[in-house]
Amino acid sequence: MDPMNIVPLGLYLVAGLVYAVHFVGRSRPVGRAATTLLIVGALSHTFVIGMLTMQAGHVPFAGTTQAISTFVWLLALSYLYVEIATDEHAMGVFIVPLLVVLQAIPAFQPGAEARVSAVLESPWFGVHVSSLLFAYASFALAFVIGITYVLLFKEIKAKHLGFFYARLPSLEVLDKMNLRAVAIGWVFLTVGVLVGWVWASQARTAVDLDPRVQAMSLQDPKIFVALLCWAVYSFELYAQRAIGWRGRRAAWLSAVGFVIVLLNLVPVSYFFTKSHNF
Amino acid sequence: MHLLLIGVSHRTAPIELRERLDFSARGLSEALATLAGRPSGAEAAVLSTCNRAEVYLACENLDRGRGDAEQFFADFHRLTHEELRPHLYAKTDAEAARHLFRVAAGLDSLVVGEPQILGQVKDAYGHANLQQTTGPLLKRLFTSAFTAGKRVRAETRLAEGAVSVSYAAVALARKIFGDLKDRTVLVVGAGEMGKLTALHMKSQGIRKMLITSRTATHAEGLAQAMEATVIAWDRLVGALSESDIVITATGASAPIISRPLVETAMRPRRHRPLFVIDIAVPRDVDPRAGNIEQVFLYNIDDLQAVVVENVSRRTAEVDQAEAIVTEEVDRFRNWMQSRGAIPTVVALRQRFEAVRRAELERLEPKLTGLSPEARARVDEVTRLIVEKLLINPTEQLKSLSDSETIAAYTDVLNRLFDLSRTGQADSSLQKELTAAFAAADRRAERPRSAPAKTSSSS
Repeated sequence: MDPMNIVPLGLYLVAGLVYAVHFVGRSRPVGRAATTLLIVGALSHTFVIGMLTMQAGHVPFAGTTQAISTFVWLLALSYLYVEIATDEHAMGVFIVPLLVVLQAIPAFQPGAEARVSAVLESPWFGVHVSSLLFAYASFALAFVIGITYVLLFKEIKAKHLGFFYARLPSLEVLDKMNLRAVAIGWVFLTVGVLVGWVWASQARTAVDLDPRVQAMSLQDPKIFVALLCWAVYSFELYAQRAIGWRGRRAAWLSAVGFVIVLLNLVPVSYFFTKSHNF
Repeated sequence: MHLLLIGVSHRTAPIELRERLDFSARGLSEALATLAGRPSGAEAAVLSTCNRAEVYLACENLDRGRGDAEQFFADFHRLTHEELRPHLYAKTDAEAARHLFRVAAGLDSLVVGEPQILGQVKDAYGHANLQQTTGPLLKRLFTSAFTAGKRVRAETRLAEGAVSVSYAAVALARKIFGDLKDRTVLVVGAGEMGKLTALHMKSQGIRKMLITSRTATHAEGLAQAMEATVIAWDRLVGALSESDIVITATGASAPIISRPLVETAMRPRRHRPLFVIDIAVPRDVDPRAGNIEQVFLYNIDDLQAVVVENVSRRTAEVDQAEAIVTEEVDRFRNWMQSRGAIPTVVALRQRFEAVRRAELERLEPKLTGLSPEARARVDEVTRLIVEKLLINPTEQLKSLSDSETIAAYTDVLNRLFDLSRTGQADSSLQKELTAAFAAADRRAERPRSAPAKTSSSS
C-alpha cells in the first residue's frame, strides 16, 4: 500500500459517492459539495505528484504504476475543467468511478520507484509521456460523455423520458463535448506518437543499446495498440467532418477507442510489452 | 393588529364574476387609495390576476375590517352583496398568511406549480408600496410570501416538467438541440394546435420559421401572423431537409409524410437530428419514420403521456411544498405574536426617558455654569446609559412569541417599573419602534437556517 496515493483515492471515492447522491437527488448544494471534494482530491493528488517529482527529479511517469497515477490526475483535472466550463455536475457520477478504479492501482500496488534508465534521460521523454497521458485523459472524457449521450438518446427515442432526461444536458451539448474531447485527444496522441518515433530512432544510434529500444517496432503490442487507437479516433474525426457521423455513432466510436486505450494502459503495459516495460 | 384577507379565486367564483372583479381594469391605484382611506386601518394590498382578486388588510377590529372590505368589493365593482357574498372567502391572521404563501408557491394555482404567480404577487406588493399603503404587517407578510415561494421552487420539484402539450414539445426540443436560437422550424398545416406550438417555439428565439399547407391561402394567413416564410406544398421534402423541428397539424385523413419521404429528406442533412412533432389526429407522419437514426418522432399521445407523467410528478411534490408553507406560516405567526410585546417596550422606554429628563431638570441649577458643549455631553452620556440599560430587556421582550409569556412579562415589568403611571404610549414613538422591530427582523432573517425566534420562557 502506498500511503501517498491512498489520500487522493479516498477523496475521489467520497467525491464519487457524493456525485451519485447528487445525480439521484439533483440537489445543487450536493452537486457543489461533490465538485469541492473532487477539487480537494485533485489538489492532494497534485501534491503527491509534486512530492514524487521533487524526489525523482522528474515528473513521475517512469514506470507503469506511476504513469497511471499521473493519468488519473490529468483526467481529474480535465474533467474539472469541463465541469466548470459547462456548470454541469451530472457527469461526475460516470467519470469519478473511473478515477477510483484506476487510482486503486498505484495506491495498493506501488511499483518500486524505477531507477531511471539511461534511455529515459532525454528531454523527449517528458513530452512523449505527458502528451500521451493527456490524450488518454481526453479520450476517457469522450468515452464517458459518449455513454451519457447514448443513454439520453435511447430515452428520447423510446419516448420514455425519465431518469437521464431529467439529469443530463442536451444531446447537442453532449455530442459537441464528445467530439471536442476526441479532437483534443487526437492532437496529443499524434504529438506523443511522433515524438516517440523520433526519439526511438535517435536512441537506436546510441552506443550501449537498451534491449527495450531494440524492441520498439510495430510488432510490439504497446506501439501497435497505440497506433490502432490513433486509427480509430482519426476515423471518428474524419467520419464526422466528411459524412457527418455524429451523435450515437461518434459516441460508440469514442467508447471503442477508449476500451483500446484502457487495454494499452493497464494489461498491455504490465504483461505484454517488451519495449515499454520501464 | 390583525391581518385580514377577503377575495375570490378560480376555486370559488366562475370566470364571469372574476372578470367583473378584475382590478386592473379600473386601476389598482384607485382601489388601493380607496382601501387606505377606509376608517378601519391604513395598510392594504390588492392581488389581482385572471384567476383571483384578493385584498389583504391590516386592521385593529376584524369585524369592522371585514365589513369595510366587503363593502369595498361591492362598491368598487358595482355589485350587490347578494351577487358577491357566496363567492367571497375571508381568512384572518396566520390562515390569511398561509393562503398568500400557498398562492405565491403556486399551490393554489389552476395548474399547480405554475411559475408566473410569484411575479404577480411581487407586482401586487410593488403597487401597494408605490401607493404607500403598506406598513410593517403587510411588508412582513409579503416578504415572507416571497421566501415561501422561492423556497418551494428551490427545494421541491413542484414547478418542474412541462404540463401542457406545447410546452412539453418545447422542452423536448431543448433536450435534443440545447439552444433553439439557430434552429429552423417548419409548420405543416395551418391548424390551431400547430400554431400554438409554433408560437411557443418562437418564444425560444428560433432563427427561422417556415410554413407550408396544401391550401396556400391558409399558409399565407398564418405566415403573416407569425412572421414566417411560406413554402410551396410541392417543396415539402426540401423544407424538411432544411428544418430542425417539424410540427405537423393538418386535417389530412391519411399520413402525408411517409418514411421514404423522411429518408429522402434526411440524406442531405448529414445526420443532423430532426425532431418531428405530429400533433394531428389522425396522424400526419408514418410512425415508422421514427425508426430512422437521428429522427425523433413524437405524436400527440406521446406528448400527452409526458404531460400526464409531469403532472403526477408535480402532485407528488405537493406535500413537501405544503410543509415548507407551514414552516413559513409558523415563523410569521411567531412574529405576529411577538408584536404583542410592543406596548410594554414602548412604556418601558418612556419610563426610562421620563426619569432621565426629570433628573436632568432637577440638576439644571448645578449645570448652568457649564459650557453648551459640556451640557450637550451630559445629555448625551445620560441618554447612552439609558439606551445601554434597555438593550437587553428590549431584545428579550422582542424574542417572546407566546401570548401567555408576554402577559407574564408585561405584568412583572408593570409592577417593577410602575409602568401604568406613564400612561398611554404616544403614537409617534410606537410607530418608530414598530419600524425598528421590522428592521431588526429583517437582519435576523438573513441567515435563514436560524430557528425562528428562540423563546426564553419555559
